[in-house]
Amino acid sequence: MSYYLGLAQLIGIHTLLGLSAYVLMLTGQLSLGQAGFFAIGAYSAGILTVIFELPILPALLAAAVIAAFFAFLVGFPALRVKGLMLVVATIAFGEFVRLFFFNLSWRVPRGDIVVGPDSTNGFREIRYFVANGWSPWEITAFVWTFVILVMAALWWMDRSRAGAVLRAVGEDELATQSVGINLTAVKVTAMTAGGFIAGIGGALYAHTATYVDHLTFTVLLATFAVSYPILGGLSSVFGTLVAVVFIQGVLVEGLRFLGDWRNIVFGLLIIMAMNLKPSGLFDAHTTRLLKRAVGLGAQEKSDA
Amino acid sequence: MSDFLLEFVEITQTIGDGLFFGTTYALIGIGFSLIFGAMRKLNMTYAAAALAGAYVGLAAFTFINAPAPVVFLISALASGLIGGAVYITCFRFIPINNHLAALMASIGALFFIDEIVVHTTDGSPLTFPALFDDVMFEMGPYGVRGDLLFVLAVNIVTTIGLLYVLYRTRLGLATRAVSQQDVAAQLCGIDVHRTNAITFVLAGLLGGIAGSMTASAVGVLSPLITVPLTVKGLIVSVIGGLGSIPGAIAAGLLVGGLENAFLYFRGVNERDMYVLLLLFVFLIFRPDGLFGSAIDRD
Repeated sequence: MSYYLGLAQLIGIHTLLGLSAYVLMLTGQLSLGQAGFFAIGAYSAGILTVIFELPILPALLAAAVIAAFFAFLVGFPALRVKGLMLVVATIAFGEFVRLFFFNLSWRVPRGDIVVGPDSTNGFREIRYFVANGWSPWEITAFVWTFVILVMAALWWMDRSRAGAVLRAVGEDELATQSVGINLTAVKVTAMTAGGFIAGIGGALYAHTATYVDHLTFTVLLATFAVSYPILGGLSSVFGTLVAVVFIQGVLVEGLRFLGDWRNIVFGLLIIMAMNLKPSGLFDAHTTRLLKRAVGLGAQEKSDA
Repeated sequence: MSDFLLEFVEITQTIGDGLFFGTTYALIGIGFSLIFGAMRKLNMTYAAAALAGAYVGLAAFTFINAPAPVVFLISALASGLIGGAVYITCFRFIPINNHLAALMASIGALFFIDEIVVHTTDGSPLTFPALFDDVMFEMGPYGVRGDLLFVLAVNIVTTIGLLYVLYRTRLGLATRAVSQQDVAAQLCGIDVHRTNAITFVLAGLLGGIAGSMTASAVGVLSPLITVPLTVKGLIVSVIGGLGSIPGAIAAGLLVGGLENAFLYFRGVNERDMYVLLLLFVFLIFRPDGLFGSAIDRD
């Protein structure tokens, strides 16, 4: 059972990671730096609960704010230039963060042991859940509370003016600019929101895994982050969730017998998906077909 | 000699070595720029393909004990072939205006190639042959490693060869025409797909040379250098101005020199962090790069 709970936690955390990329992708920008914000969230929350001995909730929120702040900082210079330059800048940022934590050593004595990030050896003692006697069920519920909160917030935002503005920037920058919308402000806001969500995800990751090191937060993780919304399509937040369940649940767990060769399959899957369905596996057309298949289509027809 | 003078010699020696090595970054940067110029797209697989080519060369060295020049040649050819394959799988059939899909596909190919390399070599570094690695030239207080000098020479010759192809042949004319205005080029009877494919193969050859030169300058080939080489190549092409070849050359030398300066002052663990920061310095103060034009920003 605890295996499936662990998988549920992983899916929840990766959904947050995917949603952090989703927000920015609504504005038509692609960031390969989400692993960096995730890392900042993970290390900050870990440091706050382990070194400063804060409870999990304030630590998690503070970590999300710190990650959001860095997303804001990166967003400004990076979004002055757009598109592919942002991709390069965010990859560079992600690698910078990884190298920063690779070098970070901040050890403090706690009782008879020494705790804190230990550069290449990683950050080992993030035991808040264990120390406070949380059961796996409680941890899973805690993770999914945040997943549901973030998904609900994004779903609601999509139906408000803010969502319309984000999508407008994504569809046609020139038209959006000509109705008086500040492109840079919109993109930096989306970037900051993405950093916040990735920060929550990272904080949850650090505490469920109890151990983080710089090798967790590579370009591969950043690629996973953007491939969820790309495969799931941008029509709604549920696409990202479906993609995470598909990749982490079905593909990664289902292909466990392949061992280390799974990453090769992941690479091939992306290449195939992009050739066959360049705008996402669950693009508008497929979603319509799926809805019709499960009987929702009839409703749509009667509406029309 | 006074301590100050000794330190000065040491610093200039380090930076000089870095400049030699920087010519390799310049080649990788040129490769990114060539493809960006042709298609306005980033080929993320590029550095991985360059190193995969070097691995094929290394296989020739290990199994049939090929001499170093043959190893370099095989590396270049293999990388050129991989470049062509990447074009077909990640760019050819994806809609021309869908930048993200092509980018993602090439990232998929990056992991695909990287994983194959990791699995066939068990991820452990392997020795790569070098030429003239036992030669040392002395010039006053300075010394020049023979193998680095060879790398420098090969890189310069390669760059000149590329510039010749681009500016003195019909093939280069077609490549530049497609890069300036693909629709107009097509109307003039240039086969855009064919030209793009040739650009990828050409860039691949370049990458294979850069990859084998990197490996022979470092002495070992390891899958661990794929991502750093990708990132540095991208940084070089951005700092030089995306799509600009002279820019990539200048930026490659700049990054190579500064990298060794950071190595000297801050140690090997922090070196790459400062190279990455350099990119942000450019993004803030000179987003178009050294030689880029503002139109090419996207």
